[in-house]
Amino acid sequence: MTPFKLQIITPEKKVFDGETEQIIVRTTVGDVGILNGHEPYCAALGVGQMRIMINGEFRRAATSGGIIKVSKESTTILVQTCEWADEIDVERAEAAKQAAEERKKAAKSDAEIMLAEAKLSRALNRIDTASFLK
Amino acid sequence: MLFTGVILIASGNMKAIKRRIKSVGSTKQITKAMQLVASSKLRKAKARAEQARPYFNELYKTMCEIASANTDFSTVYTVKREVKHRLFIVVAGDRGLAGGYNSNVLKMAVAAHANDAEKPKIIAIGKKSGEFFAKRDYDIVASYANIAEDIKPNTAQDIANIAIDMFAAGEVDEVVVFYTMFVSSMSQEPHSMSVLPMDTVELDDYGVMTYDPSPEAVFNRIVPRFTASLIQCAVVESYASEQGARRTAMENATDNADAMTESLSLLYNRARQSSITTEIIDIVSGASAQS
Repeated sequence: MTPFKLQIITPEKKVFDGETEQIIVRTTVGDVGILNGHEPYCAALGVGQMRIMINGEFRRAATSGGIIKVSKESTTILVQTCEWADEIDVERAEAAKQAAEERKKAAKSDAEIMLAEAKLSRALNRIDTASFLK
Repeated sequence: MLFTGVILIASGNMKAIKRRIKSVGSTKQITKAMQLVASSKLRKAKARAEQARPYFNELYKTMCEIASANTDFSTVYTVKREVKHRLFIVVAGDRGLAGGYNSNVLKMAVAAHANDAEKPKIIAIGKKSGEFFAKRDYDIVASYANIAEDIKPNTAQDIANIAIDMFAAGEVDEVVVFYTMFVSSMSQEPHSMSVLPMDTVELDDYGVMTYDPSPEAVFNRIVPRFTASLIQCAVVESYASEQGARRTAMENATDNADAMTESLSLLYNRARQSSITTEIIDIVSGASAQS
């Protein structure tokens, strides 16, 4: 597979700036795969996993909300957070999951429930992503 | 009599000068410490501001591309209405002693609505901003203090949601952010940036892009995030500016204290010398009178 340019940028830093052979991201409508020569494409990303192939091997990361933009020259992924599977602190994610579950139970308004569910889905996503390492 | 009078003045003077030197010295210690703290914080804040820029620039470019690539879809966020009510998000510091940092950005916000029929609604970020507008009877929608040093995406999102909700509900027709742009460690400039309605910039070459599932969906999905990133970026820039301004102000204060100590010691030594001279004259003239 021909490699192509990819940039992954979060508000904190540039997570990745290099070449990849294939990208699979979770958009709001489902998983989408990108190969070299893809048509110009733009979609919003939800909470989910992202996989990028480097030298024939997939690298996995947990991402939350953002946007992917494919143009002729390069592909750009802008996300709020992006954690590689091997960088995820599983204990912290478990703690966040429990805290979110408790908050959901204690929540009184719809907004609080939504907030807790968003937290929960992010925690679960991180745990899920990390579990692929084992 | 004349001589003793001079001695009294001189010794009184000496005491006063000595006290003054001491007080200038302790002020200098404080300003020096503040300068050191500000420069170490500045280093971190500067790195943060610089790292946030690529994300913001890319996001801004993408938003403009979507907005201009498809001008026939309608979203509440790009429609320009007649501006009757405005919302100002004003980012200032939590503390003073940073030269003109706080007053420059606050003055700019006040000047920006000088010709308006009514005062704008305010979201104040930073204690100084909140105090300033509360004192002047503005309608403060929300006020945040002590969030600038380590602003979380969630906090920025909360602030953005307030602004977006008010805009979508028609309570305000325009949202403007006032912040201080970090040009360099030595130079910071107050800036204003219109957040909503979004500018649609015509791009020459956007190509034919596929939006999944539709431009509207993608657009509406990113607007809240975009607004939050904009606010986060403004706060991060402002915080770096604050530290830069404080470091410069404290450096000047320390230099001034040095100069003051120097001229005061000169005065002190002169007073000391003249008091010794008069004492000697006194003794000599006393001795010669007895003989």
